[in-house]
Amino acid sequence: MRKLLLTTALAAAFMAPAAYADETVTIGIVTAQTGPLAAPGKFQMNGFNLAVDEINGNGGFQIGDTTYKLELKVYDTRCNAAEGASAMQRLATVDQVPIVLGELCSPVAAAEAPIAQDFQVPLVVTVPTAQSLTEQGNPYFFRVNANSGQLNEALAAFVETIDAEPLSFIAWNNDTGRGGANGMQELLPEGYKFGYIGFFNVGEVDFANHITNIRNEDSKAIMLLMDEEPGALAIRQIRDAGLDAKLIGTLAMGSNRFLDRLNADYLEGMVQYSSFPPNAPMERIKNFSDTYKEKYGEESHGFAAQSYDGIFVAVEAMKAAGTTSDGAAIRDALAEISVDGVIGTISFDEKGQASPPVYITEWCEDGSRKIIAPEEFAADCGAG
Amino acid sequence: MATAILEQFINGAMMGSIYVLMALGMVLIYGVMHVLNFAHGVLFMVGGYLTHLFFFSWTGSYPLAILCSMVALAAIGVVLERLVFRALRDNLRMQIVSSLGLILIIQNGVVQIWGPHALQMRPASVETLVKFGQLSFTLQHFVIMGVVAAAVVVLYLFLTHTRLGTAMRATSQAPEAAVVVGIDPNRVYTLTFMIACALAGLGGALLGPLFLIFPQMGDAPMLKALSAIVIGGMGSVPGAIVGGLGIGIVESLSTLVIPTDYRDTITFGVLILMLLIRPWGIFGVRVRGED
Repeated sequence: MRKLLLTTALAAAFMAPAAYADETVTIGIVTAQTGPLAAPGKFQMNGFNLAVDEINGNGGFQIGDTTYKLELKVYDTRCNAAEGASAMQRLATVDQVPIVLGELCSPVAAAEAPIAQDFQVPLVVTVPTAQSLTEQGNPYFFRVNANSGQLNEALAAFVETIDAEPLSFIAWNNDTGRGGANGMQELLPEGYKFGYIGFFNVGEVDFANHITNIRNEDSKAIMLLMDEEPGALAIRQIRDAGLDAKLIGTLAMGSNRFLDRLNADYLEGMVQYSSFPPNAPMERIKNFSDTYKEKYGEESHGFAAQSYDGIFVAVEAMKAAGTTSDGAAIRDALAEISVDGVIGTISFDEKGQASPPVYITEWCEDGSRKIIAPEEFAADCGAG
Repeated sequence: MATAILEQFINGAMMGSIYVLMALGMVLIYGVMHVLNFAHGVLFMVGGYLTHLFFFSWTGSYPLAILCSMVALAAIGVVLERLVFRALRDNLRMQIVSSLGLILIIQNGVVQIWGPHALQMRPASVETLVKFGQLSFTLQHFVIMGVVAAAVVVLYLFLTHTRLGTAMRATSQAPEAAVVVGIDPNRVYTLTFMIACALAGLGGALLGPLFLIFPQMGDAPMLKALSAIVIGGMGSVPGAIVGGLGIGIVESLSTLVIPTDYRDTITFGVLILMLLIRPWGIFGVRVRGED
């Protein structure tokens, strides 16, 4: 009996403080942490973690009288649609999170989106760019980052102003690459001359065949629709093969990390669109980049900035909805809110798509970058 | 167009040389032990990683790193043969299943040790460019073709002019008769695995620096090499050489007329065609009851 009393007293003593402590909201995360896209997955995860640390470090956030701290429940979807779908289902049913963020790969996000709708759990993606994702009429799907259509529009407007005809493409043989190549062809004016248009599968490293075809077409410029790793390989092979066409790249190709894979000689004069020039002389970007560098010891990345903003969007939506559990209410709040993020002001249109600014940056001779478009943000070497 | 054909021919011959190395290893193992070693691609990949390791943390010399990696791969070959394939000697199906299992174990083991990021190493041969007119290749392209040609010659001399090589051929042609004349089949099997693995390691060591060293780098070369030995004739060494080079050059030239993303379709299309019309391959011998 005495033992029982003691146990009860002890249990009570341990449980008592819990009743007064902050509550915790668990946000679901789906992203690739292993597999071929583990590296970009890490930037995304760093962005989420940075935001969570900052919010929790400042004491959490308040809804009514309750202070909430954030916790993340992370599933590694390995850029695999089946694993993404099962993770999304698990987050909605087993973990019962109020909102899910993440995803790196467009096809995986496409598999997750219908599940978000079925279980009324908003899915906010921060990296996938395939335009089709926000064209499905799914009210539970939101995208913080600019989609391929928006990126392409900015790039096409720029390409029109330079001497790039005939323009060739090397693109990933997936939604992103094919979508990008098709989108660009539609956006450029009628009669614009295109050279060779080639696609390669994720994991392929030999671009020799594409290069010969591009040379054959006498292309003035080559657009590379792929991410950092194949991008660096392709550029090296293009230049090593003696091809001096102008290079036009994607947002993955405007970073110091990208420079580390090559060198300034390979990159000089190359232009790329960017949703986040990490060294831009803008307060919001500078602050984020400094904090990121301090924590992770490397230059910040657009995927991290977009994902960082994604967490704040989720928190603002929960605050506006006044709930941390009702997915439908949070969805309605998401559709209405406007958040000043690192990448710009984030508010969603009726398709769930935000419209952050898109920049064009160009590599300088010394391995730094300048912002050349849009005009109001233009800045010299060292800014991009 | 002529420059395009020349450029693609050289690129194709370079990749074809890599396929030849892989195909030779697979054909030796198949010829002597009648096992298709599907794990050959991951051994190729391990060759790339070990070369990177030896280059950066030990020798600092690319040729030495290649040699060390070949020796290490030969040792791995001994271990694999003794631990896995010898125990399953009389069960061909299980040997194939275990070679598939080895792919998972080794590939994930490499990710555990080196992480999922691709590695780069850039010895001088990759940084040096060789120019012909408007065309330009890395010196590594020619290093690959030269080293593979030398390896083929050495292997040929070994098989035809040494007692061990003769023992290997004897075991391959008539295992029972070989035992009768005093050849120890266990020694021959171990030796075969050593040579085949060292060749795979050499392939990874040569190709890794040109592109990237990453866990899946051996997948495509293994499939191409498999096609090469089927097209060339299962168990035929000349078949592996002609098949490997042929696939490399044909797939490369084919991209001048068909979209590049259909490149693999050509290779595997030829493979299927070959299986339909001449299943014993170009150099293979038709065996009664096997086709």
